[in-house]
Amino acid sequence: MEKLYTICIFTENTLGLLNRISGIFTRRRINIESLSVSETERKGISRFTIVFKSDEREKVEKIVRQIRKIIEVLAVFGYEDPDLVFNELAFFKLDTKNAAGAKQLLEGYKRAKVLFEDEQILIIEKAGTEEEIYSFFKQLKPYGILEFVRSGRIALSRSEKGLAQYLPEAEWAYNI
Amino acid sequence: MKNPSSDILTEKEIPATASATPLSGSEAVIRSLLEEGVDTIFGYPGGAIMPVYDALYHYQDQVNHILVRHEQGAAHAAQGYARITGKPGICLATSGPGATNLVTGITDAMMDSTPLVCITGQVFASLLGTDAFQEADVIGITAPVTKWSYQITDADEIPEVFAKAFYIANSGRPGPVLIDITKNAQVALMSKEFRYTKCKHIISYRPRLQPKQEQVELAARLINEAKKPYLFVGHGVLIAKAEEELKAFVEKTEIPAACTLLGLSAISSDHPQYVGMLGMHGNYSTNKLINEADLVIGLGMRFDDRVTGNVAAFATGAKVIHIDIDPSEINKIIPADAPVIGDAKAVLKALLPLVEKRERNDWLAEFKELDKEEYEKVIKEDLFPEGGQIKMGEVIHRLSEKTAGKAAIVADVGQHQMEAARYYRFKQTDGYITSGGSGTMGFALPAAFGAKVGSPEREVVAVIGDGCFQMTLQELGTIWQSELPVKIIILNNNYLGMVRQWQQLFFDRRYSFVELKNPDFITIAKGFGIDGMKITEREELDSALDTLISSKKAFLLEILVEKELNVFPMVPSGAPVSDIRLE
Ligand SMILES: Cc1ncc(C[n+]2csc(CCOP(=O)(O)OP(=O)(O)O)c2C)c(N)n1
Repeated sequence: MEKLYTICIFTENTLGLLNRISGIFTRRRINIESLSVSETERKGISRFTIVFKSDEREKVEKIVRQIRKIIEVLAVFGYEDPDLVFNELAFFKLDTKNAAGAKQLLEGYKRAKVLFEDEQILIIEKAGTEEEIYSFFKQLKPYGILEFVRSGRIALSRSEKGLAQYLPEAEWAYNI
Repeated sequence: MKNPSSDILTEKEIPATASATPLSGSEAVIRSLLEEGVDTIFGYPGGAIMPVYDALYHYQDQVNHILVRHEQGAAHAAQGYARITGKPGICLATSGPGATNLVTGITDAMMDSTPLVCITGQVFASLLGTDAFQEADVIGITAPVTKWSYQITDADEIPEVFAKAFYIANSGRPGPVLIDITKNAQVALMSKEFRYTKCKHIISYRPRLQPKQEQVELAARLINEAKKPYLFVGHGVLIAKAEEELKAFVEKTEIPAACTLLGLSAISSDHPQYVGMLGMHGNYSTNKLINEADLVIGLGMRFDDRVTGNVAAFATGAKVIHIDIDPSEINKIIPADAPVIGDAKAVLKALLPLVEKRERNDWLAEFKELDKEEYEKVIKEDLFPEGGQIKMGEVIHRLSEKTAGKAAIVADVGQHQMEAARYYRFKQTDGYITSGGSGTMGFALPAAFGAKVGSPEREVVAVIGDGCFQMTLQELGTIWQSELPVKIIILNNNYLGMVRQWQQLFFDRRYSFVELKNPDFITIAKGFGIDGMKITEREELDSALDTLISSKKAFLLEILVEKELNVFPMVPSGAPVSDIRLE
C-alpha cells in the first residue's frame, strides 16, 4: 500500500542543490508530491521538506541514504505522518458575485478566512492538512473556483529535539 | 558574443610574470594544483580555458601537461593515472563541447569510485544563461555523475574551492569532482593574497574511516561461527591500499576469497586462499558455491548486478557481512546482517585480532573440485587449443607468463576484457584497470597511457578489442607526441564480439550489426609514428609478444583471433548465479 512519507533535509545554502536532490528522485522514478524550501533558525542552513508516496519504507530509507551522500547535505530525516505536525496553505480565487455563499461556508471552517476582496474577485485562504484542504475545495467548488494554489507541506517532527541538537556536533552519519 | 571566432580575439591580457602579486585567477588555479602536489594534467585547450593555459605556459617545468586528442581521452587517462597512483587525476577542458566531451569519463569515474578533479572553462559570468558561444550548463549536466561540483565566478574563491575539491575527490568513497570557472574569474586579479590551506574537514561531509567497534565485533562473531564463510574482495580494498591486511586476514581465517572485476589483483592470483573471479564471466566455482556458503563477506564491493545475477536467488543460505565506506551501499541490493561502515584497511585491522585462526581445507576443496570441471570444459581449450585460430585466452596466458604477472593490464570492454580478467595471473597490486560499472568502450587506450604516466616503471599493457579501439584510437597521437611507451594489443575478431556472443546465445544467431569492416590497424599506428605488427598464426605468438614487451617505445600488436569465440563460463543475464553455464 502506498503511503505518504516526508523527508526533511538540512543543507548548506548553496546553488544547484535542488538539482542534485531532485535527481535522486528522478532516477528512481518517484514523483514528488510537494516540496518546500526555507531558511532555518540557523544561519546559512536551508531546510527542504519533500513529500512523496512509496509502497515500502525500505525504499524511503534508501533515498534518505542517497540524499545524505550529497556533500552539502548536513542531515536528512524521514518521517511518516504520525511522527509529524504538518500543514499546508491554500488560496482560492472566486468571482465576487459568489462571495456571499462562499463566506457563509467559511463560518463552518477553522483556519479559513478572506484574504482579499474587491468588486471582481474574492481570495480565500485556508490552512490545514492536504485532506482538509481537499475537502474544503469540494465544498467551495459550487461557488466557482477561478484559480487555486497550494503551498507545499511544511512540517516539524514531534520529537523534543531541536535542530541544534543535531547540528553541527551530533552524529548524523548513518547509524546502524 | 555575436561572432564565434571573436571568442579567441577578445582574449584579455593577463600578467606574464608568474611571480607577480596579486595573482590572476588562472595563476591561482595552477598554484592551487601545485599545492596539491599535482604533477600531471590531461587536457585540451579552447577559448574559455585559454587564460589557464596561458598561466600553465609559465609552469611547464613543474607540471606535465599531456595534450590528448579528445576530452574523453583526458578523462580516461586521468582515471588510469588515478587508479595506479591513488592520487586524483586532473583533467582540463574548455567550456561547452570540451566539457561535454568529458562527461563519459566522469560518469565512468563515478561508477568506479575513481578520484578526478575536472576543471572546465566557462563563459564570462556576465554571459551565463544567455546561450553565449560555447556555453553549456556543465554543472547541471554533470550533477548526477559527480561527487561534487562548483562554479567559480570570482577569482578569490579559487584556493578554497580547489582545496575542497581535492579533499572531496580523494576521501571517503573517492569520485570525480568538477570545477567550472568562468572566464572573468580566470582573468581577474585576486583581491587578496594567494593563500592555500589544504582542506581536512567539511562540516556536512564526514566519511567514516574507523568502523564502530560493535559493528566489528558482530562481524567477527559471525565469521567465527561460520562453517563456510566466503569473502568477496572488491575495489575498495585497492582504494584503501589494504592488500597486506587482506592477506593477513585470509591467512588467519583461511576464508576462500574471490575478487570482483575491479577487485582483481588485490590478492595474488596464486594465493592458496584465492578462488577466482566473481561475476557473469567469473569462475565456475566462485559462482556455484555462493549458494553453499553460510556467510558471505562483501569487502569494499557493492553487489553489482553483474555479480549477483538474480538477487532473490543470491547467497540464499548465507548471512551477510557488508563492509563498505559508503553507507548508502548497505542494504541497497543485498540486506546485511552485519553492516560495517568504514575504510577497508581500518576494518580489516580491527577485525584481525578478533577472528579466530581456522583451517578450512574441506571448504576450499569444494572450490578446487569445481575448478577441475571448469578446466576440462573451458580453460584447457582456451589456453591450450590444439588447432584453429589463436584464442584470446592463450594470448593473455602467454602475456601473463612473459610479464611474470606483474604488468598493469588495462582492458577495454567486451570479450577481451573478460578473457584478460580470467587468464592474467595477477601477482602485483593494481594489475587490472578497466571500466567496470560503466563498461565504457574506448576506455583502455587513454587509461593505459594515463597509467603509464602515473607509473612509468611499470609495464603497462592495453588489451583492446577491434571495436573498442576505434572509439578512441586518435589517442595514438597522444602516445606518440608524449613518447609514452605503452604496449597495445588489439585482439581482433572482426566483430563486436560480446554483443555477437549474446546474439548467438540469446537471439538465435541473428547477428544484427556486429560485424566490423576494420581498417589496417598497423598502417594507422605507423601513421601515428607507432611501430606495430600483425599476426595471424599461433607460431608467431611468442615472438610477437616478445617484440611487444621488449620494445622500448610504444608498440601495437594486432592479433587476429578466433572470430566466433565465446566467453564461458557465463551466468545468463538475470539468472541465479548457480545457473552458471560452462558451454
Ligand atoms: C560506448 C559503448 N557502446 C556500446 C557498448 C556495448 N558493447 C559492450 S561490449 C561491445 C563489443 C566490443 O567489441 P570489441 O571491442 O570488438 O571487443 P570484443 O567483445 O570483440 O572482445 C559493445 C558494443 C559499450 N559497452 N560501450
